[in-house]
Amino acid sequence: MRRYEATREIMNAIGDELVVCNIGHPSQEVFTLRDRPENFYMFGSMGLASSIGLGLAMARDRKVVALDGDGSVAMNMGTLATIGLARPKNYTLVIVDNRSYGSTGFQRSFTADNLRLEEVARGSGVESVAVVDRQAEIAPTLTRLLGEDGPHVLVVKCEPGMPEGIGVIPIDGMEVRDRFMAAVASGRRGSDPARTRGIRSLA
Amino acid sequence: MNTRPSATSNSPAGQLYQRVRAHGIDFFVSVPCSLLGEVIEILEDDTEVTYTPVTREEEGIGILAGAYLAGRRPAIVMQNSGYGNIVNAVCSLVNYYNIPIVMLVSHRGSAGERIEAQVPMGNAVRDVMEASGVKCVPIEHPSDLDGVDEGISWALANEKSIAFLFPFSFWRDAETYVPEHR
Repeated sequence: MRRYEATREIMNAIGDELVVCNIGHPSQEVFTLRDRPENFYMFGSMGLASSIGLGLAMARDRKVVALDGDGSVAMNMGTLATIGLARPKNYTLVIVDNRSYGSTGFQRSFTADNLRLEEVARGSGVESVAVVDRQAEIAPTLTRLLGEDGPHVLVVKCEPGMPEGIGVIPIDGMEVRDRFMAAVASGRRGSDPARTRGIRSLA
Repeated sequence: MNTRPSATSNSPAGQLYQRVRAHGIDFFVSVPCSLLGEVIEILEDDTEVTYTPVTREEEGIGILAGAYLAGRRPAIVMQNSGYGNIVNAVCSLVNYYNIPIVMLVSHRGSAGERIEAQVPMGNAVRDVMEASGVKCVPIEHPSDLDGVDEGISWALANEKSIAFLFPFSFWRDAETYVPEHR
């Protein structure tokens, strides 16, 4: 299981939650799998997806999921301390841990050696920490967490690599922002069944 | 005896806080500075705003960006040294997505500073702000606080971030100030 397969399982478990997508290939994979106005694609500011998600969760009484990576969380490890202090019940941080910096060419990351982000998370004061390494467990685990008060940290262990054919996102930052803000403001229940069924399968 | 400052205090910090709140700024993060102690105590006690301390200014910018996307009006309270920690987030998140953040920045290294190491960033900070696309408005004294009103109105109307710099002279008599931590 690579990040792409893990992300497909994660997006299958998403209902009307707001989703913050990490910079680079992770956002591109989410866009390919299931684009929706409730997705915020972070095109810059590596490390801050978990912080943007935290701010959203603190600002509104609506469930928020941040899809982050091991390299990005290592770059902003203080985020776990702040999530553990602010403790928004409506927040779930998913760390897809492929032991590499995927978007820059799959260089080895810190979790390939000694870093265990689930241990850092356990010491940070969040409500629960879950670790999953089997594809079939991802969606049920995330669905369960989304039904319980958080904040939760879910670490999904997978392998480096990604499919061919994932392209850059064809909409610009202001369009991402404006449609996301409109979706948040309307508070509509977000999932479009046609899009949900339209999940694509790449090689 | 309760000596804790309040949001209605007439101190420089109290006056500043009232001006900022009058614009509907309702979501704050902070990193400590000895000059900002009173502002931070006010934030801790004000149940009408959302507030959290942050470990580093950069994550604070991410949190505030999320708050703005959710329809809130965000501000960061930090020392000028913190601006050095947020330049990339300002350029590639805040400026790129047109997210207006109000920055209330104590200006260490300004006249009255007794810690030499604070001076280089103190001297650089205005140029660094301007070079990274954030308007910088120095507020030398509480009598200059109209500048905060004008600046916040401009920032919200134009979806631009803005930084207000508060040197020692704003907070107290620079000649008699002795820093708590060396």
